[in-house]
Amino acid sequence: MSFDPIPYDLFDALKHFLTVFGSTMLIAVVVCLLVGVLTRGAKGIGDVFFGILDFFNQIIHISPRRIWSLSTLTIRESLRQKILFVFIIFAVLFMFAGWFLSGAADRPDLQIQSYIDFVLKAISWLVIPIILLLSCWSLPEDIRLRTIHTVVTKPVYRIEIVIGRMLGFTLLGSAILLVMGTVGYIWINRQVPESVRPNLVSKVPIYGEIKFTDREGAPSAGLNVGDIWMHRSYIEGATKARAIFTFKGIDESDAINDELNLQSSFEAFRTHKGNMEKGGILYQFIFVNKDKGLRVDTAPLINKEYLENRLKINRKIMHESEDGKEKVEVDIFDDLVDDNGNLTIEVQCLEAGQLLGMARSDLYIRTPDHAFLSGYSKAVFGIWLPMVLVIMLGVTISCFVKGPVAILTTMTIVLVGFMSKEYMAEILSGKMQAAGAIEAWYRLITHMNSQTPLPDGPVKFMIGIVDLGIINFLWLCQQIIPNFGIFSNMREYVIKGFDVSWDAALLPGIVTTAAYILPCLIVSFYSLKLRELEAK
Amino acid sequence: MNTLTSEHRKLAYIIAIIVLLIPVIWLGMPSTGEDGSGGELAKLRVEHELGESTLGDVDPSSASMNFVLLGLRGIATNLLWMDANEHQKKKEWAKLRSTVDSIILLQPHYMKVWDFQGWNLAYNVSAEWDAVEDRYFWVKEGIKFLNEGVTRNERFPELDWKVGNLHGQKVGRSDEWRLFRKFYKVDPDTERFENGPDPEINPERLDNYQVAKEKFLFANEKELKHKQHLQMRMLFRASPWHAQFDYANAMQREGKFGTQRTDAWDQGFEDWTEIFGREEFITPKGSVVLEWSEPDIENLAKRDNVSKEDKRYWTGRYQNMVNYLFWRTRAKSESESDTIDAHKSLYDGEQLFLKAEFDGAKAELEKGMALYASVLNKYPSLMHEDLAIEEGLQAIILWRYIHELKGLKLPESFPLKSLWIKEQGRVPSLESDLRRRFGIQ
Amino acid sequence: MDNESVIQISNLTKIYRDFWGRKKVRALNSLSLEVKKGEIFGLLGPNGSGKTTTLKLLLGLLFPSEGEIKVLGQPASNVEKNEHIGYLPEESYLYRFLNAEETLDFYGRLFKMSAEERRKRSAELIEKVGLGHAKKRQLKEYSKGMTRRIGLAQALINNPDLVLLDEPTSGLDPLGTDDMKRMILELKAQGKTVLMCSHLLADVQDVCDRIAILYGGELKVMGRVEDLLKEQDETQIQTSRLSDEAIKEIEQVVAKHNGKVGTIDHPTATLESLFLKTVQESKERPGQRFVPDTQEKKAAE
Repeated sequence: MSFDPIPYDLFDALKHFLTVFGSTMLIAVVVCLLVGVLTRGAKGIGDVFFGILDFFNQIIHISPRRIWSLSTLTIRESLRQKILFVFIIFAVLFMFAGWFLSGAADRPDLQIQSYIDFVLKAISWLVIPIILLLSCWSLPEDIRLRTIHTVVTKPVYRIEIVIGRMLGFTLLGSAILLVMGTVGYIWINRQVPESVRPNLVSKVPIYGEIKFTDREGAPSAGLNVGDIWMHRSYIEGATKARAIFTFKGIDESDAINDELNLQSSFEAFRTHKGNMEKGGILYQFIFVNKDKGLRVDTAPLINKEYLENRLKINRKIMHESEDGKEKVEVDIFDDLVDDNGNLTIEVQCLEAGQLLGMARSDLYIRTPDHAFLSGYSKAVFGIWLPMVLVIMLGVTISCFVKGPVAILTTMTIVLVGFMSKEYMAEILSGKMQAAGAIEAWYRLITHMNSQTPLPDGPVKFMIGIVDLGIINFLWLCQQIIPNFGIFSNMREYVIKGFDVSWDAALLPGIVTTAAYILPCLIVSFYSLKLRELEAK
Repeated sequence: MNTLTSEHRKLAYIIAIIVLLIPVIWLGMPSTGEDGSGGELAKLRVEHELGESTLGDVDPSSASMNFVLLGLRGIATNLLWMDANEHQKKKEWAKLRSTVDSIILLQPHYMKVWDFQGWNLAYNVSAEWDAVEDRYFWVKEGIKFLNEGVTRNERFPELDWKVGNLHGQKVGRSDEWRLFRKFYKVDPDTERFENGPDPEINPERLDNYQVAKEKFLFANEKELKHKQHLQMRMLFRASPWHAQFDYANAMQREGKFGTQRTDAWDQGFEDWTEIFGREEFITPKGSVVLEWSEPDIENLAKRDNVSKEDKRYWTGRYQNMVNYLFWRTRAKSESESDTIDAHKSLYDGEQLFLKAEFDGAKAELEKGMALYASVLNKYPSLMHEDLAIEEGLQAIILWRYIHELKGLKLPESFPLKSLWIKEQGRVPSLESDLRRRFGIQ
Repeated sequence: MDNESVIQISNLTKIYRDFWGRKKVRALNSLSLEVKKGEIFGLLGPNGSGKTTTLKLLLGLLFPSEGEIKVLGQPASNVEKNEHIGYLPEESYLYRFLNAEETLDFYGRLFKMSAEERRKRSAELIEKVGLGHAKKRQLKEYSKGMTRRIGLAQALINNPDLVLLDEPTSGLDPLGTDDMKRMILELKAQGKTVLMCSHLLADVQDVCDRIAILYGGELKVMGRVEDLLKEQDETQIQTSRLSDEAIKEIEQVVAKHNGKVGTIDHPTATLESLFLKTVQESKERPGQRFVPDTQEKKAAE
């Protein structure tokens, strides 16, 4: 997962959700109708209809009072199960963490990153598994011990039991998170060396769009220097090659003390040694306003790799006029931002034979910082969201399988969601050669490379059929399993010193979690409704 | 039934936890590097020079990690290693460093991990950075990492050797060697190190090659107890003395021709002939010493009950293997004034050439060439060594280039002409090297 | 006593199926019965005869394979009817980590009860079931008898109209059994309907108005307890202790009326003997309803 904050397309996501959700529901209803008609004849249709109606009926009639009492029961149950022992592990972890982390890197700025990384990771690695175990175990245990009999024979809707559980675990988890988050915050504040304390903020960046031109000035995709990581594209120095960043909606409020703050982290690629002692390759920014026909250069700058190159430019720039005779003062926000509120900045590498690499996220406008707490609390919220998702999944799954199975299933979903989403996407994209599972096996066993086409015949046909099935199943998994990677992104922001972006991280996280509420409720409703609560 | 109330029991647990924590902290706290810091175990380890490998796993962190992983440390290490590669690919250097530290927690006594990752930090990661200061920082990280490996592992002379090699070759022989050697004495983080070196790297403010020599000496000492698997024993044991030569040579490369340089060569000659030369090495025909006299051969032949011819043959063969005679001659010749003058003139010629003072350069080069020719005459064995040959050829190439620039005719005969003709094969690659170095188009 | 029926079961069949949907056990076979308002109805039968299954079907814990159930005039699957139902499960399935007060408070909250009401009601019930001394202890420390008591309290928290009791006296000592029976009769006195199932016959005999005996999922006997047990061609005379002379005199009087004196001890058949007879008969003639030697039988003949 690369650190490239791309704004989230909410509408698209919604459309996708509706397609997947709607078609699944449609298929489910059709199957139910078919089965109903086959087994019960015309009465079956009515049954299915009433079954569907029942969901809405119960949802309308759920009572906050009962849910609340079931939630408190859940919390009480967890507390009596000594859930709070987790704090002991947490405390031990934090007592000794300093030992292991202080030697991590001799650079205070990198050190902060390890501290934040550690705190957020420790919290999520403690909270999520425990909550997962609890939420998967509780309902099946209730059914096994038949304590649920006493509850469902009260005027309680079964869906209320599910919601009560979800809510209870969520509240409990939230409380634990809150405590741990607070301790973590204090810990970070105490551990961070004095010298880099100013770095402990939440930067608020504005990212632009990036385009490249080649050495003749024609649009291009930028150069590739053969780096395995194809994240950055390169521009050649002392030519017309440019990287053009366009920032939308820039105005005075984005300035800090009347200065425009540009922060960049470009990567250098040298084709010859050049002057090594300068500390980096020279480059410059050019502000372009086509509406006014203005092009304003900054002084040459030295690119420090892998560091934040922060350039503060006073909003008033002295600039040579067209004829080059007199100096004119231009104002960045009044003169250089174009009529649509866009600020266009070209990046030019100044050294012949050297290349400068950048991606969209490598240049941004830094607007007034938020407090570190702002980003940090959002990152903790970023642990809260997957926690809630895990609770919902766990409780839902435990509605139809036994505890251990529920734990394994949920764990698998979470692990796959965390680690293999990208991999699955890659396989499904069709860009991978010999991506079919059986085909891959066949090639492995027969030592056949992936370029050679499979020999024609029944074997190929069979492999094709089975693989198609597997791929379709994979597609289904890809659609259903939540993308937990979204949540770990939030941590990345804070580690790198940014405030968590609403567009690119928070919103997708919230939407992802929210998207599972309704499906989880529906699945758990019907699995409990159709289930005889007799654990035999 | 337990007569304690629940509150009492909880209190008892808390007290028990605290009581148990005290010895953990008292025993297990790792040393911060200063004397007398850290827990008892850490102090004992320092006091008795006991690495973990002799005591077993006593580092609380790695021991507890292994405990927690319940024997899955191999898998965990592999996962972390993959993580490390991913971080390196995405240029997340801080994460790379901390992942490598975690790997080390799991595999503290696996030499390859230290070796590979130390080299990775000092070479690969360092080269990814653009600014020389940053590159130097990562060289230091590599050294520090390997230092850690050395203190945790008493049985690997290889690791000491690698540390020496980083101090010597990486700092002194990289493309950025001039700056690296400067940073070695005055760290670029001037604020933190108060215009001095990083004390973890160079506590005594020495030359990098001097430190390298010390490290190689440690390696040699350990090598007496624990076999190394890096290279031929003789080559391995020659390292400290080569570091001494490199030290002297480096001064020369930087244009320092004072007594310090001459003393260094003297010291080198002494070390080479009196320490290294007198060490016994085992051959198929018994021991030999490289710095021999007739009685040595006789004694050894008698002791090992082999013929004198055999001894002589194997001595000669071993001498060739380490270029013993060349270095002996070189060290000896370097303390003579003719040799010094020759080097100085050639160096000055180069410097003048760089300043585009071609007349002066020409004169200095001619003077140097003449002197150098006489040195080679005196010590013909130098003519078999790359460094010596290249120094001569390089002077001729510059000298010829000046003629070309000024439109002068090359004289029919010139000093070192025989060398020039004999070593024509080396000229093209040397020429391109020089172009790069001096920016000749 | 009005004749409004509280529970109506018609043709109820329950077949347990295994995971693959294959029939495993026919637990109930076309059971029909009716429980009227205000009566105490006892379901009897040996283990595995379908008593508990019937109860669970009534509560909606199990779904019928065939037939219909109406409880308080509503289908069994309807949750709202539970407002007026109290249920004491077989083994008091309660949360072991709660204490008595918390238990009652928790279940009370599932009904529309205010905090004040809940507090009053649970204090009252704890007193009534005799757990005042142990109300702060977690249920996991309770003995079997105490668990039954808190179970009953839990079932009564909502002041239900219909109380379903599954083996209410199991695990109770004689004193506890007596208490339980007293409380059941008290419920009747309050005009509540009670359906209990049990295999402890003496208890049933003592409290029930009507009983049904199930065997192998089928209804074998149903009727008023006294009707079922009354030996119709005998007259019972119970007096204080009489002298031999007096007994002779009585015998003469009986002879004079063409009577014959039988034994003078146990006057009625016990429920136990009826039960055993039913089970014996059912084994010998499966699938038929058992008709005891009662008035109806005579009439039928």
